[in-house]
Amino acid sequence: MVRDAAAKPQPTTATAAKPKTWVRLVALVAVLFTGWHVFASFLWIAPYSENAREVVPGQLLTNYMIPFFGQSWSVFAPEPINGDYHFNVRAIIKTSDGGTEETGWVSATDVELSMIQYNLVPPRAGIQSSEVASSYKGAFDSMQEVDRAVIAGDFEVENWEVGLRAALESQKSEGGSSPANRSATIDELMREEHRSTAYATQVARAIWGDSVQQVQYRVSRQNIIPFAQRHDPSAVRPEPMVVLPGWRGPVVEEGQNDGNFGDVFRAQFERITR
Amino acid sequence: MSEQAQTPVARFGAFIGSLISATWMATMNGIGNAVAWFENWLFGGKKALYGLAVTRMIFGVTAFGLLASNFSTRLYTFGSGSAWNGELAAPLSDFPKIWIFSAFHAVAANDVAFTALYLLLAVLAVLFCIGWRFRIVHPIFFVMWVSFIEMNDMVGDQGDNMFRIALIIMFFADPAARWSLDARRRAKKEWFAEGSSPRHIGTVLHNLALIALTAQVAFVYGSGGLFKAQGNPWAHGYAVYDPLQTTRFGTWPVLSDLITAWGPMVAIGTWGSILLQGAFLLALLSRPTRLLALFGILGFHVMIGVLMGLPWFSLTLIAIDSIFIRDRSWKRITEGIGEKWRTAMGGESSKPVAVAESA
Repeated sequence: MVRDAAAKPQPTTATAAKPKTWVRLVALVAVLFTGWHVFASFLWIAPYSENAREVVPGQLLTNYMIPFFGQSWSVFAPEPINGDYHFNVRAIIKTSDGGTEETGWVSATDVELSMIQYNLVPPRAGIQSSEVASSYKGAFDSMQEVDRAVIAGDFEVENWEVGLRAALESQKSEGGSSPANRSATIDELMREEHRSTAYATQVARAIWGDSVQQVQYRVSRQNIIPFAQRHDPSAVRPEPMVVLPGWRGPVVEEGQNDGNFGDVFRAQFERITR
Repeated sequence: MSEQAQTPVARFGAFIGSLISATWMATMNGIGNAVAWFENWLFGGKKALYGLAVTRMIFGVTAFGLLASNFSTRLYTFGSGSAWNGELAAPLSDFPKIWIFSAFHAVAANDVAFTALYLLLAVLAVLFCIGWRFRIVHPIFFVMWVSFIEMNDMVGDQGDNMFRIALIIMFFADPAARWSLDARRRAKKEWFAEGSSPRHIGTVLHNLALIALTAQVAFVYGSGGLFKAQGNPWAHGYAVYDPLQTTRFGTWPVLSDLITAWGPMVAIGTWGSILLQGAFLLALLSRPTRLLALFGILGFHVMIGVLMGLPWFSLTLIAIDSIFIRDRSWKRITEGIGEKWRTAMGGESSKPVAVAESA
């Protein structure tokens, strides 16, 4: 150990000249502001407590923290994720003889996750399908039983989203959920339908090209082998929970560049299937 | 003094009165001393300059690394290949809707312009790292970085929030005072003379920023500990097994299996995480516990960064934790390394003690 360096006295700098009064006043304001910031951060970062937050009137806390100090730290808590989401896609394509053909399933999740596996510096591209699957399933799970039958139906004509929404809205509300709640859950599902179909369309076009007429996606979640059984050679993962919406007409967002999606996706698909 | 006043009750009353006044005086003196001490601390030189310089450098590396590792898939994840996620039409984050953070969103559909901004941002990350013209580079880097990272909400993580918040707090501090190109320039001519009023204000703001950053990271760990403590898998000592067995957060399946094979190890990792996070702020207060907390949390982040495929999240937090290593320690570390380097390279040493020791 080189001890002499530590033993050298460190001269405290700039203490000789005493700060002027106005400087001390500026410092006081800065201290008070820091105090507020630290206190606001504490209330915001801590697990949500309505009674603790009463100390700050109205919307002041939210207005101060959002958007610049927005954050949420219940990461892997209270219960860490213990399952895999999957997003599989198949399509109906036009064949060269003018007919149509149904393709087999492609796992978009396997393709994307292979980008991050055994990779010390994984690209964010690798987690999109898991995210799409997880939010779709979340929205689907909050729909009522009768809605799920509607969603399982095919909606493949142009502007099918209008038809699906109308079909869902015409279902009778079960279990006394308020009209506002009901319309919020339908809105949420329709957003997920739109995004999932747009993603499935890109995946399908990446693999089967422009001849894609309709797409279908299958979203699932499969839990891992429980901790206690991890050394049991006969242990298998629990059956996946599968959601299978019906066939959908392709959705392409304005500004979408199929090539920039397809090149990356196809290259990775070929890498793992070869 | 009259005889009548000396009754036992009066004496007792006088005793109580003197106790109260002594307590009052002690309290007031205590508060006065604390205020004086705090003022002295606040004005008495910028603290943790080396630690914050390390934060700056690791932040630069983190940003550059994130950009580099996403470069080949940038159009797929953030650019025109990603319009399917709807963000081109209607961004999910608040930031692209704020004019100064809208640059990346505005060019998202244009591959050439997007790539040009992307590369510019990478250059800024390098300049940020080496501390070149930091007072100018820092705000530009901040605006561009937030504009970029908020393009695709779905793939973001809490590391992005931590990075942004730390960058904001660092505006008030002096992260380029050491180990930077600016530091070399400033060694020749300082911006403000010592003892001048602007210098005083700069010192106060720097030290207050350190308080804010310390609070930020300590609250994050404390809150993380509390959130985890609510969950059964954490309480029962096996929570780290679960995400490591998923495909998304167990990006090295062979290592995941290896590290979760022995039960007690899993319990150490699980309970250790909660204890370290919950105890972090108080552990900082004394040197031995601080070492334990810092090495522990470093190990925790290395595990998250490598095994769970979240390197930039982890590096962001590691970067901020370096402010808790004192300037003295940083100097000792670098002088030690320099000495070993000179010795190893066969050059003459200025410190015969170290040579004798290594011989």
